Amino acid sequence: MNILEILSYGFIQRALLAGTLIALLCSVLGVFLVLRRLSLIGDGLAHVTFGSTAIALALKLYSAMSLLISMPIVLLASLGILRLTKKGRLSGDTAIGLVSALGISAGIILASVGGGYNVDLLSYLFGNILAIKGEEVVIAALLCLGVLLLVTLYYHELFAISFSDELAQVSGIRTSFINSILVLLTALSVVLAMKLVGVMLISALLIVPAAGALQLARGFKVCILLAALQGCFSVVVGIIISIISNLPASASIVMINLLVFASACLLRRVMYPKYSN
Amino acid sequence: MKMRGAAVAFLISCLLLVGLSGCSTKKEPAGTGLQVVTTLFPLYDFSRIIGGTHAQVTMLLPPGVEPHTFEPRPEDMIRISRAALFIYTNPFMEPWAEKILSGINNKALRVVNAGEGVSYLSGSIDEDHDHDQHHDHGHGGMDPHIWLDFANAAQMVDAICNGFVAADPANGSEYRHNAQLLKGKLAALDERYRQGLSSCATGKLLHGGHFTFGYLARRYKLEYHALSGLSSDSEPSAQRMAALIRSVRATGVKFLFAEELLSPRLSETLAGEAGVELLMLHGAHNLSRDEMARNISFIELMERNLSQLQKGLQCQKK
Repeated sequence: MNILEILSYGFIQRALLAGTLIALLCSVLGVFLVLRRLSLIGDGLAHVTFGSTAIALALKLYSAMSLLISMPIVLLASLGILRLTKKGRLSGDTAIGLVSALGISAGIILASVGGGYNVDLLSYLFGNILAIKGEEVVIAALLCLGVLLLVTLYYHELFAISFSDELAQVSGIRTSFINSILVLLTALSVVLAMKLVGVMLISALLIVPAAGALQLARGFKVCILLAALQGCFSVVVGIIISIISNLPASASIVMINLLVFASACLLRRVMYPKYSN
Repeated sequence: MKMRGAAVAFLISCLLLVGLSGCSTKKEPAGTGLQVVTTLFPLYDFSRIIGGTHAQVTMLLPPGVEPHTFEPRPEDMIRISRAALFIYTNPFMEPWAEKILSGINNKALRVVNAGEGVSYLSGSIDEDHDHDQHHDHGHGGMDPHIWLDFANAAQMVDAICNGFVAADPANGSEYRHNAQLLKGKLAALDERYRQGLSSCATGKLLHGGHFTFGYLARRYKLEYHALSGLSSDSEPSAQRMAALIRSVRATGVKFLFAEELLSPRLSETLAGEAGVELLMLHGAHNLSRDEMARNISFIELMERNLSQLQKGLQCQKK
């Protein structure tokens, strides 16, 4: 089947549009998260969403309604992760691991005791980038706009906490407030975007573009820009490749993303030979 | 401050565990008679009909749970270790059954593979003539949804009945009698399908989900196109979706089928794109919690499927 013909279908257009928007917001947030050593927070919060969706389904709240339960729980969990790193003297990965274990075990327990469900939990949990509805493109656009707006608004504060929490605090920045904003935005994005494109893609879009951009960037703004470019590029190219070679779309996007990352690593060796060993 | 937070968290988790364990233990009545453990819904339904008043039949899968992702609870293991009969569909459907059984030390347990000897459908009957591409449907090439061919279902009834008779010969004649009645009902159901689907506007069963209804299509000579393969993990490609949309448009049907219990997201996308309505079919592996509470039977589910099929394929009712 001809690629132009497939591109004329609404589902592919929505996938390209919403995918690019989600890639944009994830890769921008990702730069801060990777530098704050919270890169796995996407996976962790996805597990919490699993647990909270189990509660929502047990209460017979489906699809959009399940967000009424899972959204507040995931927002709280993200603040919990932050609190654990601060007060529990734990590093980010340990804190994420703890909260994610809680989420997934609560989900499994609820799935087996609640007398079962009316639907299959896992199939409801994860979206597919090829099955995005018109109104969900609007949600993705609003989310993207909101994240970009807040990042611009608090750019200097976010920049400061990304490198040193202590230094930022000394220079008069309300670090706990800024940290909260960062993780709450992440939680919001994970919950909404997971329903649209699935957890694998979210997690990859948070980490890989940031990791790729950090190979090459020599300034913070450039880094954010490169990450955003890599994220959007891999979504568009990944979807097109998946059409041509008849492969699942999300996995192709992740693979393209990783390829870009690998090229960035190679490019760094060529561009800055004395910094790479 | 830190202590107080930890104490609250501790209390909450205690309350949760206690509360939850409270709801899990209430439904097991101390049963008498032959203890039978089944895996999926068709086996559960057939077994409780055959067993009648002499057996206590339970189903492992909690309502709404996908058979592929099932994990047994300790209580399930205890139940199997005390049971006289364990009935499963086939190794393709419940690959975990063998693993569970190997962990159980119950010499009196009789294991029935209900799908032994039925006529299996290998891989895919789904050929796209308009463009040549090959789809692997996984599962070692065998379609595990054997109960959707009612001749197979009748054979499964025989296999289950033999298990009952061997485990409890004293009530053998009654089990055989119940099985005969059930097979009669399945044959009548088969006849109703044959009649009901004999004069339809289209013979194309287009399904926006996993490859589930292959047996049904084979038996009633329908042309079956599913969006994705047998495995529920496989993800459809954009080409595959576009191809299905094209064939919906080309055949001019007004309905696309989707499977109950699973998320309809992809099917909804396809139906929206092709401008048709969605109709739900029941795969009957498992029931929803509501259906379980209403004590619905396999035959009732299949009757419902028949009327959905007649609507979707625009059949003349007789």
